[in-house]
Order: sequence, then structure tokens, then C-alpha cells
Amino acid sequence: MATTDLAPADIARLAERAGLPLPPDRLPAVTATVNAIHDVLRTLDGLALGDTAPASAFDAG
Amino acid sequence: MTQPYELSLTEAARALADRSLSPVELTRSVLDRIAAVDPEVNAYVTVTADAALRSAREAEREIAAGLYRGPLHGIPFGLKDLVDTAGVPTTASSLVRADHVPTADAAVTARLHAAGAVLVGKTHTHEFAYGTTTPQTRNPWSTGHLAGGSSGGSAAAVASGTATFAIGTDTGGSIRIPAALTGTVGLKPTYGLVSRHGVASLSWSLDHVGPITRTVRDAGLVLGALAGHDPRDPASIDRPAEDYGCGPGGDLTGLRVGVPVNYYFDRVQPAVEEAVRAAVDDLTALGAEAVPVEIPMAEYVRPTQWGLMVPEATAYHQASLRAVPELYTEDVRLLLEAGEFVPATDYIRAQRARTLMRAAWLELFHRVDVIAAPAVTSTAARAGQEVIEWPDGVREPVSDSYVRLSAPANLTGLPALALPVGLDGQGLPIGMQLIGRPLGEATLVRIGAAHEGGHRPAGVLAPL
Repeated sequence: MATTDLAPADIARLAERAGLPLPPDRLPAVTATVNAIHDVLRTLDGLALGDTAPASAFDAG
Repeated sequence: MTQPYELSLTEAARALADRSLSPVELTRSVLDRIAAVDPEVNAYVTVTADAALRSAREAEREIAAGLYRGPLHGIPFGLKDLVDTAGVPTTASSLVRADHVPTADAAVTARLHAAGAVLVGKTHTHEFAYGTTTPQTRNPWSTGHLAGGSSGGSAAAVASGTATFAIGTDTGGSIRIPAALTGTVGLKPTYGLVSRHGVASLSWSLDHVGPITRTVRDAGLVLGALAGHDPRDPASIDRPAEDYGCGPGGDLTGLRVGVPVNYYFDRVQPAVEEAVRAAVDDLTALGAEAVPVEIPMAEYVRPTQWGLMVPEATAYHQASLRAVPELYTEDVRLLLEAGEFVPATDYIRAQRARTLMRAAWLELFHRVDVIAAPAVTSTAARAGQEVIEWPDGVREPVSDSYVRLSAPANLTGLPALALPVGLDGQGLPIGMQLIGRPLGEATLVRIGAAHEGGHRPAGVLAPL
């Protein structure tokens, strides 16, 4: 639920921690995509979830 | 004179059963059609001509000996290249799997072999199904336009007569989108009805496998062969086999068709809205009742879909993204890399939103039997087109626009059928989507076939 964008340096540090090779020339595009995804996911901030359990598995029938 | 490749599955099956057509004649006709038009359409990654003719000869011998297996026996089909085929390259249209030759068949491949169907080749997908345009494949209705995706090759093959039916996968609309854009029929079954074992995953909690066909009746026949419990897929439903044939009747009296008052007609091309509303009128003329319905939680569809799909896709590709990142195409690599940075709590929040959304959608089905809506916001985009501009000034990426109306059925696991309902002013196909209650495929097929029956000829090939 963070409200500030990540910077390329943040992504570089997190990528290193995750063991993801991310050359410097990829950082601008990846950072922009991460922030765009985050903006979309932030919409869920408006949803009152209460005690709702995750649908990690469900019986569709 | 009608060529065998032009026949729908239903028509071909009838001719094979009464032996007025042989599987070898039909398969040769389809292979000749591939040679004639696929260089332009590029639906296929791999064509398995020799193996197809061997299978066709075997089917011919069996049928001649009275060992007719059923309506798929001797029928040529295309299989999305995401689906494993023993001994046949299965590349997911990606350099990452350029050398991948599975040693075993996927569950659906095995089921189709058991039904006697004849594999003619593997069809193109947007790389690893992570996209809805399949840019390497062209729309047979206009080769300057996209076929949609991610099962673009399967839909283009069925539309161009290079497969009598095909198999696709659908995580956010990847069966229904290309079906709608190519004038074919696409059926995304209820989550868990068809096994995903042996199919490369995009997003485990959203992936489905299903048929793309020329007619609704054909889709019911293929689904009958695909459906069935498989303990190797943790989502697989254990239930008795069902007949998805639609019967002869076109009377829809007593059926309630929900027509959305929000979401599904927002930012939709006028020709698409007009065709879909006319199709709903057709259904009411057959006896159905149109019922206005409010789509619940519409503003949460996109974040819930992204919150599930993005991290699940990245998890699936975690090892190869570290080993051979340069082998992915740029658009897919970027999304996979970005998915590394979605917090687990955002993923679980999307799962919780999904719980609420599914419950709210199930409530709708107390009031209606199906929901009728556009399958896609627009007809096929031009090759290379990246955005759709709407009259209110919004510029929407083509991929986002394509997924917008199909994603709810993935999030809820509900079955959804896309069927052709007309052409726009450029002659490009328009698709309608019928969404049903869980395991309501037979109802979707019944309604879709009733609509189809009123609009002969059904299953028309693209004018290539």
C-alpha cells in the first residue's frame, strides 16, 4: 500500500537481493513498468476486505 | 464445390461417419490449404504433415473396420504451441523453448489422440501466452490486421481453413479474444473442467484450456472430448461426464439473458455495441427474456487480474529469467522482470478481492441464466497498432483494451463462449460473449447454437 514511486536505484537494490540480473540499461524501463503496475494495484486500496479469505484455491463447481 | 477443408467439424464428422469422406482426403485437403495460405497468415509454428497423414490412414482403417470412435475421429486439428506433444517441438513461440521436445503428451493432447483426432500442427501463441496480440500471426479476414491472442495461431488456423478445430488457452481472454477477432467460436470452460497438465502456465489461478471452432455446435463436441477429471491438475474438478450437444431446438423460452448496464458497453466501438445488442434482440426473438444487470466490482477487475497474473507469471519463469533473460522478447521480459517487485501482500490482496468478486458474480446468476456482452471492445487492430483512441480522449493500449471485457470470466472461473455476430464497416468480425454459471457450458452451447441456427450459414471461412 506504499504511495511513493520506486526509483531506479531502489529497483537495482531489490533486484540484487532477489538474485535477478538487471543490467543498468534496463533499470529505467523496468522501474517505469513496476511503478505503472503499482499504480494499477493501488486501486485495491479502496476495497474493504474485512476478514475475507484469499481465493488462492477454490472449487469452481 | 465445397472442399473438405471448408467443412465445419460437425459437417466433416457426419461425412466421415457415413464414409462419404475419408480422413485421408480431409487431412490432405487441410494440409494443401496450409501450403496455400499459411505463408501469408503464419498460424503455424510447426506443421506435422507426415505424422498427420499416418494418423489419418489409421483413422481410415479403423472407421472402415467399424471402429468409429466418435465425432473427432479423423478430424484435423491445430494445437497451441503451449501444449505438450510427445516427440513434437513445443516452443511456446519463444526462443527460450526453441529446443524443447516433450517426452509426454499433455492431458488434452492425450484425450484428443484417444478421440481419434489428427494433429496437423502446433499453432502460434503470443510468447508464453503473455500478451493478446500474437504479432507474428495475421488476421485471415485482413492480413494487415492482428488476429489477437494469445491463441492467435489457433484462431487464425480455424478461420482460414487450415484446421477444422484448434485448441487454445485463456488466462485473461486468450481464447475468446482471437476467436472474436477472426469470426470463430471460442469456449473458455469453467475453471478446472479441462486439465492443464502438460500446458505451460501463464498464471495458475487464471489459466484455462478450451476449443476454438467454426461453429458453436463444434465447440460443444470438442469440449466433450476435453473435459474430465485429472488428479495431476490441482484445480481439476471430479464430476461425471456431460453431453455438450445442443439438441435440435432453437426455442429459448424461459431463459433469462442478463444485459450489463455498466462496464461491458463502456468504451466499445459503436459497430460492436450495435451488433451485440442486435444479437441480444435475436435471442429475445427466440423466446429469451432480456434482464438488465449491474456488473459488480467492475473498477477492481483490472487490479485484481494484474495482481494475480503478474506475480504468478514471474514465479513460473523465475529460473529462466535468471538463466537466459536475453531470449525473451522485450515486452514479455519487461513484464516478467517487473513482476519480481510486486509485494506478496498485494498478491494476496488480489486473491481476497477475487473472493468477493466471485461471490458477487454468483449472486447475479440468481436473476439470470447467462450474461450477454461484447467479447472484445473493438474489431481487429492494425498490425503494429499500439493504442486505441476513444472519443472521450482516452488512449488505451491495444492489449489492455482486448483483455478488459474478457478478464472477469477468468477471475471468477465462470464459463464464457465467444461467437461471431457480424462484421464491421471494414468487413472485420465482431464477437459476442455469453458468460454462464459454474459448469453451465451446456446452456452456453444451447443459446449460442440457437443464435447460430438463425444466422445461416454459420462457420464461414475468412475470404482469403
